[in-house]
Amino acid sequence: MASVTAPAVQKPAFRSVGRSLLLTLPMALWAMVMFTPALRQPGRDGHIGAAAVAVFMTVLFYMMMRTGTTYRWRRIFFVALGFLFPVGFIASLIAVRGTMSIPIERMISGDTPYCFMVTPMVIVPAALFRTLIFPGSILPTPSNPHSIAAMIGLWLAVSLVVGKAWCSYGCFFGGIEEGFAAVAKRARLRRFVLHWGSRLRLTPWAILIFIVVLSAALMEPVYCAWLCPFKTITEYPAVRDVETAIQMAIFIMLFAGLVVALPFLTKKRTQCAFFCPFGAFQSLFNKINLFEIRFDREKCVDCTLCQTECPTIALSKESIREGKTLLNCMKCGACVDACKKDAAVWHIKGTRVGVKPERARLLFLYGGWAMATMFGGSILANSVTTMLGFLPWK
Amino acid sequence: MAAVSFSACAGEALLLGLATGPVCLASCGAVVLPWMLVQPQGLRAHGRQLLLFLAARLAGYLVFAAAVWWLGSTMARAWGGRSWILGVTELLLCVALLAYAAGWPHARCLVAGNAKELVQLGAAPKPRRMGAVALGFLTGINLCPPFLVAGVRVAQLGSLGAALLFFTCFFAGTAIWFAPFLSLGLVRRTPEFIFVGRLAAILLACWYGLSGVFTLVERTVYG
Repeated sequence: MASVTAPAVQKPAFRSVGRSLLLTLPMALWAMVMFTPALRQPGRDGHIGAAAVAVFMTVLFYMMMRTGTTYRWRRIFFVALGFLFPVGFIASLIAVRGTMSIPIERMISGDTPYCFMVTPMVIVPAALFRTLIFPGSILPTPSNPHSIAAMIGLWLAVSLVVGKAWCSYGCFFGGIEEGFAAVAKRARLRRFVLHWGSRLRLTPWAILIFIVVLSAALMEPVYCAWLCPFKTITEYPAVRDVETAIQMAIFIMLFAGLVVALPFLTKKRTQCAFFCPFGAFQSLFNKINLFEIRFDREKCVDCTLCQTECPTIALSKESIREGKTLLNCMKCGACVDACKKDAAVWHIKGTRVGVKPERARLLFLYGGWAMATMFGGSILANSVTTMLGFLPWK
Repeated sequence: MAAVSFSACAGEALLLGLATGPVCLASCGAVVLPWMLVQPQGLRAHGRQLLLFLAARLAGYLVFAAAVWWLGSTMARAWGGRSWILGVTELLLCVALLAYAAGWPHARCLVAGNAKELVQLGAAPKPRRMGAVALGFLTGINLCPPFLVAGVRVAQLGSLGAALLFFTCFFAGTAIWFAPFLSLGLVRRTPEFIFVGRLAAILLACWYGLSGVFTLVERTVYG
């Protein structure tokens, strides 16, 4: 359906406390539902962790409702998720295995936790050979509760509901670079982004093709074996020979360059924008997802502030002129919050642009934040519980 | 060889080709997919290029069939030169993919305008049939597992004619699996699309190059 620009509607700058609380109530109840099982488990640390995260998520949602802005509150959660995920994950690896590295024999026995990044690589071999090329287990086992079936099911459900917003509300890896991007006060490599951004944003698609065809040819998840920067802070193959040493060197270089240095220098999520093949794959869900960001051309003055603020280079001058974002938009809300003319708006496909954008934002946020609470919140609660266990007086 | 034996031989090869086709598709897809992405839009153009590719691939198969029949089954099973062939083939594939990525696209792919810088990675664009022929021949002699299975069988056959027939039928069985690549001709070619295809070709060329070098080094060091 063609979208027609509607008469201007003012975005509320602030809501009343009562109304904000009312709008937060469903999410508070959702958080309670999500964290009640943890409260039933024995152990005070677990209770404190679950309660703290339930309050944390509810307060952030309340602030979104109260202020009418999305980005900065989402970023607090997302950065916390990015930096706390490795804490809980590494602690559980060390508790179960005694080390972060995984020896080849344990890998073969299916003890590798399934990571959603593998998904695009397993599809072709599964279709052609009925073989899963990831050394995990389809159903949960005592030594590996992160089963393939559960992770794919969760990811698919979430992707259908929020599209590529998975990358800004669920991906714990993205939070790390967003954290490093937030550290610097200004972008030191601004010209690099301006000059190379439009070309490099297509690189993830090429990497996606590369890993998909090569994984099918070699019958192994090539990205995990050779290119994943996040192996550095999660689980890596035990270094026993030249090959694993090269793999480890690549992981560290990619992590240092794309996740730490470049985000700090450019204030962009460079790994997500220029490298992540899973992000490119996830972009396809934006095609079938209902929610999107649009630009009201009657209000837009082409100041390109939204383009400057976009952390993943999902806007170009041409796309803004057309009133749309690019396919790789992660719906983080940075452009909407930055726009001084209220031209960037949340939008539900099939409706008119600019008509009740706050309603579109609310509907999106209920889905997005529910996912964030369920998936990211449980990770946060686990990490907080782990950290409480390390307190010196315990 | 009697007529019945020929038909049995052809049937066996066709079935072997059909059964192992997914493996061929997976191993040759790494070359075919990025190459097809930078083809001009249109089913006819794609069909023409794919036919050229497959014809060259058949030529590669027949050369291999003749060599195997001549040298006997040792070539397919334990002949040390296999890793040399594999290494050199991979290096040549690397060169062909790089040349293709740098020298394409077809004139029709060039969309003038704001994104024209995206398609100026290499030399002036011109159509190249040699690209399809080179890539087809090199994938034709690439020693993938089904190919070696067919090679072992061919070495047991009594005549050169039977060997060539076997590999022709084997080729026909595997070639059917390449038909889905034709659908890529329906996808609209934008500068961004071509850029992605070329970049993927460059990445795969790098991988083939590295793999070829490692194969040759391994062969030299360990024998």
